[in-house]
Amino acid sequence: MDDHADVFEDVRRGMIPAHIYNDQEIFELEKERLFSRAWMFVAHESEIPQPGDYVVRRVLDDSFIVARDEQGSVHAHFNMCLHRGMQVCRAEMGNASHFRCPYHGWSYRNDGRIVGLPFHQDAYGGEAGFRRKGQRLLPAPRLDSYNGLVFVSMDPEAPALRDYLGDFTFYLDYYTRQSPSGIELRGPQRWRVKANWKIGAENFAGDMYHTPQTHTSVVEIGLFREPKAEKRKDGCTYWAGRGGGTTYKLPPGSLEERLRYVGYPDEMIERMKRSWSAEQLRVVGQDGFMISAASAFPNLSLVHNWPRVADSEAVLPFISLRQWQPVGRDETEVLSWFAVDAEAPEEFKKLSYKAYLMCFGSTGMFEQDDVENWVSLTNTAAGSMARRLRLNSRMGILADDTEVVPALTPEQFAGPGTARTGYGEYNQRAMLNEWADHLAAPARSATATHVGGPVPEPSRDPNTVVNGA
Amino acid sequence: MTIPKTPAPAPTPAYRPGTTPGDTHSSRAVLGAGAPRTRRTGRTLPFGDERHLTAHRWLVDEAYLLDAQEYEEWLTLLTDDIHYVMPVRVTTALGAGFDTAPGMAHFDEDKYSLSRRVARFLTEHAWTEDPPSRLRHHLTNVRTFATDDPDHIVVESGVLLYRSRGDVREAAQVSAGREDLLRRDAEGWRLARRTILVDDSVIRMQNLAVFL
Repeated sequence: MDDHADVFEDVRRGMIPAHIYNDQEIFELEKERLFSRAWMFVAHESEIPQPGDYVVRRVLDDSFIVARDEQGSVHAHFNMCLHRGMQVCRAEMGNASHFRCPYHGWSYRNDGRIVGLPFHQDAYGGEAGFRRKGQRLLPAPRLDSYNGLVFVSMDPEAPALRDYLGDFTFYLDYYTRQSPSGIELRGPQRWRVKANWKIGAENFAGDMYHTPQTHTSVVEIGLFREPKAEKRKDGCTYWAGRGGGTTYKLPPGSLEERLRYVGYPDEMIERMKRSWSAEQLRVVGQDGFMISAASAFPNLSLVHNWPRVADSEAVLPFISLRQWQPVGRDETEVLSWFAVDAEAPEEFKKLSYKAYLMCFGSTGMFEQDDVENWVSLTNTAAGSMARRLRLNSRMGILADDTEVVPALTPEQFAGPGTARTGYGEYNQRAMLNEWADHLAAPARSATATHVGGPVPEPSRDPNTVVNGA
Repeated sequence: MTIPKTPAPAPTPAYRPGTTPGDTHSSRAVLGAGAPRTRRTGRTLPFGDERHLTAHRWLVDEAYLLDAQEYEEWLTLLTDDIHYVMPVRVTTALGAGFDTAPGMAHFDEDKYSLSRRVARFLTEHAWTEDPPSRLRHHLTNVRTFATDDPDHIVVESGVLLYRSRGDVREAAQVSAGREDLLRRDAEGWRLARRTILVDDSVIRMQNLAVFL
């Protein structure tokens, strides 16, 4: 496989080789060097609130059981029996104290520990032949959480999740910490689109330029009052740490008036005031920006909008999380969740859910038009002509790389990172630069786990883990 | 490596998996509180029964409107209190007692939200259906049931939606079972409740900018 250095060089200049959106070699490289390292969202703790609750989630081809054990701790174990490699849990959600492999009956507690090994003495000669003690399903190499969002990384050397996300956590709090209880997550709706995974991630990260065109229809029918062209460029895009997003500029007013403007009831506003830092409150209350779409590298996106959900002027805000799960170079499984503050009034939760269904997800009216574009783009990127095209992704900078609009000063925008008003593709470039950095760095070899048996001499190196030893 | 238990006890969400006897997908849906509750009674009606013939004809005529995307006319076939719900199906262990995602659906609609969806298709900027899909709702397994009220009948059907777009990609299909409540008023029979049980946990269609 060639090292694609020219591709990364083009990407770093803001010129995108069109074929990266449908290219088998690039996809193989993404699997080897990106998804093997980056922190990947798998679940939110509210999806598994009780001991024994579990969901099964994939990271590309790897299936993980994300379970809460009897003591309340959350684990993520590779969903493969240690004996013959059968998938241990074939449901996608439920509650179980144990998982029993249907093939030969090995069974595991919901904390991953092996508890049942039929005929251990007769078949293996007991512990002398197969050390059962201490064996457990293979844990995800790294597991960590932020505001209840559970992530795994395939890289044992990955930086801590907070360090990886960096200052993007400042913005993540707007979506996932509107009260001390955080969010409850419902769903996901799951569907497959014949589109490359990067397109959605880039779009949510910073594409405010598409809103007036792609989403004309939702304004025409009165669903959404905001995405008029002039409104969008007054908002800013920001990039901080390993994520970035878009905002809308709010009309003048106090913090409370601005949060009411997007539909939050006073009791939720009071909790936000206690949950967010002075700087987080200032971005909304003084600077006048309200977060909308965002992406955390590589493939977790978020959205916050405030449509009308009934025949009245009132708007209702909703939050959605979604993952662009790569299936292949030209296919993505979308997992789209509805998120709502756990302490929100029940009536608010219902109407916010209605707002979500009308706008995003498998039936959402915003989403419908987005996906049509992304599928077409992916199709068109497959052929030889796309290899001759470098797409210009330099919006917001001149030929000599000076900015069309200067970055907002700390007086104008209290959030971390770099923020700019006006149209620009700063965030898409930041996203793809991060992508190029990952793909240009050779992968480390992964360690092998030898289940309960002898380890061959040549493998006695620091990269080998003997399970249960 | 584990994530230790959080100091505060995990909140119990309002929507837990499991079923209460007598519940339906419609009554359990997040937005199903105001939905019509009329239930079927007894066994299927004979295929020669006037009510079965009425229901079957209604479904075939409706399928024509949906294939032709004559959505304004389709809206007139819906009662003002309609509940149109399509739960998210999930794979669960045998005996788990549920196979839909708690608190989530693909559609959980009232007349207003359906009317917005239709209004959008009537703009010139609903790109997902411009150019329009070629649609065919294949209708089968129609079973009709009486209710306690002669002005209500319940009808079940299977539907296979074939949706073809453009000339590059393979057509997409969605298979589902439906249970409908039809209500008779001065203008004829109209749809008061539809429950769509899709047969996929992961929808193999780029969006549901269609009705089932």
